[in-house]
Amino acid sequence: MATSPALDVPPEGPPFKRLKTGSNGVSTASSPAPSHMADLAEQVDAQERQKYIKGRKLGSGQYADVYSAHLVSDPTQLVAIKKIKVGAEAKEFGISYDSLREIKFLQELDHPNIIKLYAVFSTKSQNLNLVLEQLPQGDLLKLIQDTSNITYTPADIKSWMLMLMRATHFCHANYVLHRDIKPNNLLIASDGSIKLADFGLARSFADPFQKMTYNTVTIWYRPPELFFQAQYYGGKVDVWSCGCVFAELVARDVMFRAWPENEINMVKMICDKIGTPTEDNWPGVSKMKGYVTPTEVVPLRPKEHWMAQFRAVGETGVDLLMKMLLLDPRKRLSAEEVLKHPFWTAEPRPSRLEDLPRKGGGMEVMGEDLKRRGGEIPNGGGAGGRGDKVARKIDFGAMK
Amino acid sequence: MSRLAQHKTSPITKREVRIGDAQDEVCPVCKSSRYLTPSLRFLINPECYHKMCESCVDRIFSHGPAQCPIPGCRKTLRKARFRAQRFEDLQVEREVDIRRRVAAVFNRREEEFETLHDYNNYLNEVEDITFNLINQIDIEETNRRFEEYEKMHEQEILENASLEEREKVAFRDAKKAERDLAKERRDLARKEEEEEKKEAEENKRDVLNRLAAGQDAEKVTKQGQQVTLKKRMDRQAAAERQRLLHLSDARNGSSSLIRGLKAKVKAEPEAPIDPFGGLKVETKYFSVQDDYVWAGVQETKADVLMGAGGYDVREFTTRALCDAFSGLGVFIGEDSAERERIGVDEKAVGTITAERGVKRMEAAS
Repeated sequence: MATSPALDVPPEGPPFKRLKTGSNGVSTASSPAPSHMADLAEQVDAQERQKYIKGRKLGSGQYADVYSAHLVSDPTQLVAIKKIKVGAEAKEFGISYDSLREIKFLQELDHPNIIKLYAVFSTKSQNLNLVLEQLPQGDLLKLIQDTSNITYTPADIKSWMLMLMRATHFCHANYVLHRDIKPNNLLIASDGSIKLADFGLARSFADPFQKMTYNTVTIWYRPPELFFQAQYYGGKVDVWSCGCVFAELVARDVMFRAWPENEINMVKMICDKIGTPTEDNWPGVSKMKGYVTPTEVVPLRPKEHWMAQFRAVGETGVDLLMKMLLLDPRKRLSAEEVLKHPFWTAEPRPSRLEDLPRKGGGMEVMGEDLKRRGGEIPNGGGAGGRGDKVARKIDFGAMK
Repeated sequence: MSRLAQHKTSPITKREVRIGDAQDEVCPVCKSSRYLTPSLRFLINPECYHKMCESCVDRIFSHGPAQCPIPGCRKTLRKARFRAQRFEDLQVEREVDIRRRVAAVFNRREEEFETLHDYNNYLNEVEDITFNLINQIDIEETNRRFEEYEKMHEQEILENASLEEREKVAFRDAKKAERDLAKERRDLARKEEEEEKKEAEENKRDVLNRLAAGQDAEKVTKQGQQVTLKKRMDRQAAAERQRLLHLSDARNGSSSLIRGLKAKVKAEPEAPIDPFGGLKVETKYFSVQDDYVWAGVQETKADVLMGAGGYDVREFTTRALCDAFSGLGVFIGEDSAERERIGVDEKAVGTITAERGVKRMEAAS
């Protein structure tokens, strides 16, 4: 399969060409396709569009706006509509990669812990609208950060992690890599269960010698092999991210919060907290493109070191966490192996859904999360967001 | 009436008299009888359970401990321990005393035992001790066991005793609250009745007044009746509401027939955790081998960068096989049968899966 390596998604095909009109608002009817075809497509689109009534705007970003909406036929049935804005990519290919990936994978994956995509339709101005499940209880990040109001138990952590791992395993079993697992992509449904959202960076497993981008996954949750510019990788990248989420749930702070958040600081941090990757603990690592021979070698941290930090989840919990955060992706557990770990069946039993803390921020948080583009570090985590990477203002006032 | 019949009635009359107050009783020490001294009261001492009158106790034991005056009994008795007799039969009196003493020490509760069987064994043991004490069997050995247990479990005994005391207090309080509530309800009912009477009277007076003022007699009486009727209906509605309220109270268990039953929450035994949540990934038409003799697979396995990056060629082979065999799960016969069953408009929907998806979405949303 011929792919543009950096973007992973082939700009394939006719179905999307239909949307490729200028932003001047000329409708598809002007395209060379036979007019009755266009009419049928437009009819189906209009039919779908008329099923929903758009309500309040929940969030707005550079990439998308999120609205609350409900069905015309049954106003009690709420959905969220993510309206993707027309961007530069859309002008070139007719549809942005993020939304293409999102639609491509979400419409295939049907799992209780993965956000549901009910329908897709477009509006007159060529905006793409995704009709998603409404998840009104905010996200896991808000729960973790709200240390003053929210307390949760190791049983709650186990319950959340189990839901996350089931979702991850389901993706992998269907040969889909999520590549952006982090607490603010874990939304909380009204029944308390968490749902994996934002498949904007997802892709399917690659064929042998098919290169993938290493510049993916939000930097704090990115596994070491991607920092070493691995172009061939597998499901273990998601397991690392899950391990980071696990550690974050226990410690209530990002596990590898490198600041400023660049690759070098991240690698330093991983060396410091887990150990320096060497040929001994990770055969073949020195051959990797991004590998820098370390000046000083931190030995792998022993279990006692981990126990001191993550005692709350017990010995089996720490054992699982260590195996999810192993440097060598070959040794790191796969999602399936994680689910086979004795941690889940050991005491305490995972909390029931109705006992889990909910208040992860409410509807506005869902809006915030869905409007964001994959790979961005959320605001409020110390980072300035996407804005300060795009352009930096020079502060002349500070100069003398 | 025959003699026999008369005799039969006599024990009943005797039982009605307070215990120890029989007319013909005589103090075994001073021989004074109730007939001569109506204020005669008999006392016993739990050391030997010999009965004597109050004045004898005062006379003999006022100056300190002394021997029992009954011939043949050499027990030393103290005045402080004399008390009134509770049961007519002194054997019963003694047994009850022993049982009380044993129960104060062996006061374990059922919830302290792991199984009912253990609890029953414990009860059996206690009964053995009690029986031995009552019937003076093996008395030294039994006493030793009793004291040993008391010494070993001093703390627990104290705890259980205080727990029981607390329960008693709580029960008493609950009872009292219930009584107060009932009284309140009665008062309310009485007040209501009075008001009703007053209203009826007022109504009557009103009708009379209006008649005296020269209004149309028929109309006034009719109105008066209507007013009475309306008030009665209102009251009935209120009474009905009250009744329903009480019913719901009763259902919530606040005033059931048997009180003090432990609220038993039937905990459903939870199924063991299935980490996979019921998801089974199995291959029906093929089984994946560990290795394949194909250059593509072998080269991938040998490639250092692939390995170090975590690329697992087995994920590829599994997927390739899955893709290759996916069509095998579809049977045209089944598919068209289901198509008919669901009743798909063939022109509108391309595939059966799409149709099912549409239906599911409609059901979900």
